Amino acid sequence: MSRGLASNSKYSYTHLNGKGPSEAIDVHDITVKKSRLRIFSSYSGAAVFLTATLYLVVLKELCISSIWSILVCFSLAKVVHHKPVKKESVVIMPAFGVQLETHYWSGRVIRRFIPISKILKPVLNECVTPVTCHWSLALILRDEDELTLVFQKLQPPVRMLVPVWKALCAATECKGNQHHLNLCARNSAKK
Amino acid sequence: MDQQRKHRILMVSDFFYPNFGGVESHIYYLSQCLLKLGHKVVVMTHAYGNRSGVRYVTNGLKVYYVPWRPFLMQNTLPTFYGTLPITRTILVRERISIVHGHQAFSTLCHEALMHARTMGYKIIFTDHSLYGFADVGSIHMNKVLQFTLADISQAICVSHTSKENTVLRSGITPERVFVIPNAVDTAMFSPAPNRLSCDEIVIIVVSRLVYRKGADLLVEVIPEVCQLFPNVRFVVGGDGPKRVRLEEMREKYSLQDRVEMLGAVPHSQVRSVLISGHIFLNSSLTEAFCIAILEAASCGLLTVSTRVGGVPEVLPDDMIVLAEPDPGDMVHAIGKAIHMLPNINPHVMHSQMKKLYSWHDVAKRTEIVYDCALQSSDESLLQRLPRYLKCGAWAGKLFGLVMIVNFLLWWLLELWQPAESIEEVPDLVLVQNEHEERMQDFVEAQD
Repeated sequence: MSRGLASNSKYSYTHLNGKGPSEAIDVHDITVKKSRLRIFSSYSGAAVFLTATLYLVVLKELCISSIWSILVCFSLAKVVHHKPVKKESVVIMPAFGVQLETHYWSGRVIRRFIPISKILKPVLNECVTPVTCHWSLALILRDEDELTLVFQKLQPPVRMLVPVWKALCAATECKGNQHHLNLCARNSAKK
Repeated sequence: MDQQRKHRILMVSDFFYPNFGGVESHIYYLSQCLLKLGHKVVVMTHAYGNRSGVRYVTNGLKVYYVPWRPFLMQNTLPTFYGTLPITRTILVRERISIVHGHQAFSTLCHEALMHARTMGYKIIFTDHSLYGFADVGSIHMNKVLQFTLADISQAICVSHTSKENTVLRSGITPERVFVIPNAVDTAMFSPAPNRLSCDEIVIIVVSRLVYRKGADLLVEVIPEVCQLFPNVRFVVGGDGPKRVRLEEMREKYSLQDRVEMLGAVPHSQVRSVLISGHIFLNSSLTEAFCIAILEAASCGLLTVSTRVGGVPEVLPDDMIVLAEPDPGDMVHAIGKAIHMLPNINPHVMHSQMKKLYSWHDVAKRTEIVYDCALQSSDESLLQRLPRYLKCGAWAGKLFGLVMIVNFLLWWLLELWQPAESIEEVPDLVLVQNEHEERMQDFVEAQD
């Protein structure tokens, strides 16, 4: 079993290459680190929002400033709200398929299986939003217009996505050319 | 100092492909030539319809179509500080060293330059058009330009007339303004292989049919020329609000067989329209630099144009006949051009244009401007604020306040999302294999 490679303050990545009966199976996990600060701020944000709403509703003061303050509290609560996702994993079974799993803190697990023949290519995408730009790993599936995100709830950094992408490429390699990946150390000359 | 240092440039403008125009093609050609010189170029613009996100165009030029909706004439909604997060993210992840903004009319350009300056990057601005001083729109825009150029490293204008105009509008010192004229893709605009016969003379007009481009002058000039010169025919390409007036003129003087209206001409077909004629007529009322006449001269056409703005600086005297923007004078100029026509050799004209104008030359000159900008010293906010305060009694204080708020917002953003957490994008090197499909070498920079 080869274990954990990368981690940052929010996510940690582990790669389990199993031995024994499930020898061929490759499991890549991205786990959300439990942070007390994040949970606390999430609950307090929700509490502030609910208190403000109740206070204003009870007092029956629904004017512009009260609606505005409700909206502000709601958006603050939304920003600090932390998702109840414990970890997301990708189980690669070569020549068979790929299973995408989302594990929640409550114990619930959502799984989706994609047969290998359906996957055309895994791609690393740069997603641009009005405020930021982040990387995501997606699968191009046959007969489907939309890309399927591998990690649907989490946004791990790209250095955790690259080994998963490489493993997916190796598992779904096309018959002709194989991807030739050059990794060379280069000192990034920062200005 | 390493003179051959390669820069990492961010071009910002509201105007880029898939829009076609002078500014768009300027940014595109300049970026391509800078890529060939070995620099890294990234373009940032707003989303066009569904075209949103990261796209790669020819030679690996990366374009960020930021999903901010345009609100007026292809301009992004000006929110002052709204574009700070995305601009900062792009600047950090692409490891940009210089930000180059284009066109005074572009709100995204002004905002991005303001944010880049707050974060300490060197900025360059290129002005592509002439603007007035008297109407309300111009007054406001000139004030915005004054704000942006108050603290600029260097500015570039496309002609000496444009330099005068920019310096007067913004109050920037002339020493900081470089003049780098536009160029033309002479490979694409080449003359017809066989010379056209001079029995019937064809005059081509290709422009947007709007007031600014002198469509009203055309309405007066065309009937008179048709009457004076029976062997002259007109071909008018382009569309716009003034097209109706031209159609009316055709009806009134029964010129249906002598004036052909082509409608909007796609950019790829402009060359085939140009090579079908002998003379190119440009009737603009204002022009900082006219790329259209360069294209016409590159195709071997003799140009007749109004003497406005930067037009006299563009072509040598043997390739152009200038006239005042008055119908009588223009008719006289067209007559003169028709007499000059037998002495014109399109191929000689084309090879002369190849020597005079080239985008590679523009890129080399722009590189000099970048080197100059990078040599200026880094300054803190306190050292830069007095420059904004000089802009005016009230405006100066307002500009100073805007910059201070921007600085505070940037500092807050640094706390919320530190620059270290924004991952840098590795440089994508495209290796083209002639017999097989393209392979990509993913070159990763080690942290």
